[in-house]
Amino acid sequence: MANPSTPPAWADRLLRWLCPPYLVEELLGDLHEQFADQVDEIGEHKARQRYVVEVLTFIRPYFLTRQAAHFINNTNDTLKTGNQLHTSAVRPLRNATYGDYPRPFLLHPSMLRNYLKIAFRNLWKSKGYAAINVVGLSVAFFVSVFLFLTAYFQLSFDSFHEDGDRIFQTYLFSNDPEKASRSSGMPLPLTPAIKADFPEVEAVSRLMNGSNVVTYKGKSLDKQVMLTDPDFLKIFSFPMRKGNRATALNDRSNIVISENMAKAVFGTEDPIGKRVQLGLDENRKDYVVTGVLGDFPDNSSIKYDAFIQIANSGNYQSDKDKWDAMSHIVYLKLSPQVDQATFENQLKPFAKKYFAGNFDGLKKKGAKPDERGDLFAIRLQKLANVHFDTEISGRSGTPVALVYALCGIASFILLIACINFINLSIARSFSRAKEVGVRKSLGALKNQLFVQIWGEAAIICFVGFVVGMVLAYLLLPTFNTTFQGKLTLDYILQPDKLAIILGLFVLVTLVAGGYPAWQMAKFNAVEVLKGKVTIKSPGLLRNSLIVTQFTLSSLLICCTIIALQQVDHMRKQPLGFQKEQVISIPVGNKVNGQQALKRMRNLLASDPMVVAITGSGVNLGLGKDRSTSRSVMGFTYKEREVSTDWLHIDYDYLKTLNINLLAGREFNPAYPSDTSARVIITESMAKMIGEKDPVGKFFQTDTAGARYQIIGMVPDFHLYSTTNEKKPITMFLSFNDNINYIFVRVAPQSLAGSMDKLKGVWKEVAPQSEFTGTFVDENTDAWYKSEERLSKIFSLASGIAILLSCLGLFAVALMVIEQRTKEIGVRKVLGASIPSIVIILSQDFVKLVVLAIALATPLAWFFMQKWLDGYAYRIEISVWIFILVGLAAILIALATVSFHSIKAALMNPVKSLRSE
Amino acid sequence: MGRSYLGEFEELVLLAVAVLTDGAYGVAVAAELKQRTSRTISLSGVHIALYRLEEKGFVHSELGGATSARGGRRKRLFTITSLGRQTLGELREVRNELWNSIPNPSMS
Repeated sequence: MANPSTPPAWADRLLRWLCPPYLVEELLGDLHEQFADQVDEIGEHKARQRYVVEVLTFIRPYFLTRQAAHFINNTNDTLKTGNQLHTSAVRPLRNATYGDYPRPFLLHPSMLRNYLKIAFRNLWKSKGYAAINVVGLSVAFFVSVFLFLTAYFQLSFDSFHEDGDRIFQTYLFSNDPEKASRSSGMPLPLTPAIKADFPEVEAVSRLMNGSNVVTYKGKSLDKQVMLTDPDFLKIFSFPMRKGNRATALNDRSNIVISENMAKAVFGTEDPIGKRVQLGLDENRKDYVVTGVLGDFPDNSSIKYDAFIQIANSGNYQSDKDKWDAMSHIVYLKLSPQVDQATFENQLKPFAKKYFAGNFDGLKKKGAKPDERGDLFAIRLQKLANVHFDTEISGRSGTPVALVYALCGIASFILLIACINFINLSIARSFSRAKEVGVRKSLGALKNQLFVQIWGEAAIICFVGFVVGMVLAYLLLPTFNTTFQGKLTLDYILQPDKLAIILGLFVLVTLVAGGYPAWQMAKFNAVEVLKGKVTIKSPGLLRNSLIVTQFTLSSLLICCTIIALQQVDHMRKQPLGFQKEQVISIPVGNKVNGQQALKRMRNLLASDPMVVAITGSGVNLGLGKDRSTSRSVMGFTYKEREVSTDWLHIDYDYLKTLNINLLAGREFNPAYPSDTSARVIITESMAKMIGEKDPVGKFFQTDTAGARYQIIGMVPDFHLYSTTNEKKPITMFLSFNDNINYIFVRVAPQSLAGSMDKLKGVWKEVAPQSEFTGTFVDENTDAWYKSEERLSKIFSLASGIAILLSCLGLFAVALMVIEQRTKEIGVRKVLGASIPSIVIILSQDFVKLVVLAIALATPLAWFFMQKWLDGYAYRIEISVWIFILVGLAAILIALATVSFHSIKAALMNPVKSLRSE
Repeated sequence: MGRSYLGEFEELVLLAVAVLTDGAYGVAVAAELKQRTSRTISLSGVHIALYRLEEKGFVHSELGGATSARGGRRKRLFTITSLGRQTLGELREVRNELWNSIPNPSMS
């Protein structure tokens, strides 16, 4: 064999890895020899194959366990110095199998088994504590998992777009002397002007909400058809499933639809190139589907079914050169070389050029430039912040404070549960001091003890965690309905969310288990075994932890009560109209509102049940369609800047809502000219234009436009939520504008059947459209949805917090009193009365609770004062809240403690003193 | 009998060691068994059996001659111990007794 063939080297490597090193030489030798024989016998190729098979058969427990043992032993030998004998021996473990025992490694299976056994015995011995810990931890886990995930969901809004850091929404800032304001409404000519003037803007697009009826093959569907520019698809990275991103919206008759809508409209057909109709009757128009976009994720601010060009919007022709008609929002994407501040500076001369009128108006009002030197400016909001900017995004956004409140509450609850755990573990640690002493004297290292005790804590945490997760799974639907959450199991089971959940678990295990374990591992073995480490109270730490718990709990309770009072206060705020017995019917897109109203009037004219019918462009409160709109008109009247809600109404609006006229008259079909350029205004509008007696006066909204005559004045009323003050309102009547809502006032005695009756009538009036009427008082209640949600979260959290705190207090009290059994016995023998003993036992805890309340009160006052500042109609925080919460907390704490203290006080001193 | 249990394969290996006298090592034992029993014998199985026999004290081993075919690696040479011989003998006796007790010896 001049050039001997060799077996595959990787197989040799595998064998070395599989088998203990002291066997490798002889095994490899035998294998190679056999290989050499087989090469001669059956040829090299087959021999190599057999060789591999042969090596694979070495994957056997016999070799693997010896290899693992060898590995562990070696690591152990390097950890602990000394005993060079082992390593110098030729075959250490084979010697070992004949004689001396291998040294057990810290994490050796049998040691682990021992740890587990001890852990379970300990837990079993103190079932009560274990149960309290498990209950506390599991509740804390599932609540905080919900809250953190909700917060995470909110924080991840709009984070899925590529280059999100370069995408901005524009807003107009005006430093009004009354109140600096920011608004996101933009005029139509702004976008083309930006595109022409600023090459550094990569893409800019208008976006206007619109809902529309989509008709295909005789089937009509209500869809959210957004009006936008072709650049929209360049700015946002919603995935394009079909069609060409660059050209899909290039034509006025193109439509890009979502996957969902493609399914709803076309089923399994390929939608590309198909024609659909949008709009009603004479406004109906054909569109060609040129693209299919993926559906928007739940955490997207932009929600859509389809997109068409903004040039298709109804007022495009009339408004496309008007710089004062704000109708939509604008997104833009800057090129990477330009940063936000630079571009905002570049926009300054641009704003001066196109918004000269706004500058003049503000100057006349006496406005001063703000700290950035702007009276009026176009500024940018980062896409990531849009969702949290409630001033810009309207009520659809979530205040970022709410998200932080969620995180804060979740942390509070976790903290309280951890404190319970720490308190109980430390209190109990002294009963295990002897075990630690014995282990130490047998050679256990501090680290090993730490791992063992911490491991026990980890077991409890793990049980709590598992129970918590099961609870979370079971309560997920309840949680979602209560908090309008969108958490689903699929959502939670994604890697990043699982990482959050596991992170929580690890954090709790480290904090709650680590500290007590470290304390115990530190015990001095000699003193412990001599019995010198007595059960002295770990006072300061335990007490401060209890104070922390009760501070957090009372803080949450105070916040809850104040939030509930505020919501109630806003509800009770007089709206300025009578909301009871009025039904509001959203017209929807499939029906022409003007015609529907006319037909309703005809059908119900002689009905005794109906008191009055009217229509309007704006709903009162939030109906089942959950939509709201607002149009504001700004103009100059006798040198005054005027801004008013511009409300389209129909005949009998005031009658339907029971609003009394202060002066003048209501719209009346008897005066034909009422349908154009006649308005009714509210009191504050009269004040704004500075007319004491406005009836009969004229004003113009722009120099070329119509002259509006004021024919009536009414008291102020709330067209929108009582979060804000009553704004000036101007009402006009027109047959050309859309009626979006029909209001019907029904007679009080026929309230019960009225909804069904109207449903029947609606079926006659608009058979193709679903009836979604609701009572206006329900609608106005919906205004306080977010406040209500907040107070619900607060009440849940404070309930859980106080419950957990009491649970902890209960256990700590039990332990403290057990430790004082002898003292109580001696006191009783010396003649102490039962009440005096109860007082002695309870006062320590009550002191802590009082301190906690003293800490919580100013905090709660401060936070809630800030929160209430956001409301136009706010309550004053009453001292009584704090006094009552304080008393309640003390009572609850007393009740918790007294269970044990009374039991202890009643005990026969003979029993407690006998054992020695 | 207070002796260790001996499996069928272990018994074969032990016998092979006895047959091969001085030259018993993994490959040789495997080859011997392959030739005599005509079943597939894996080296790993043979090795494990040898190590087990050594742990039980039936064989005794030392490292010996290296050849070029082994890449210069030494082989572990096994020799049967007196305990091994005795055990084999006992096993054989038990079998013989059992054979003799079969009423109709012609069945073989």
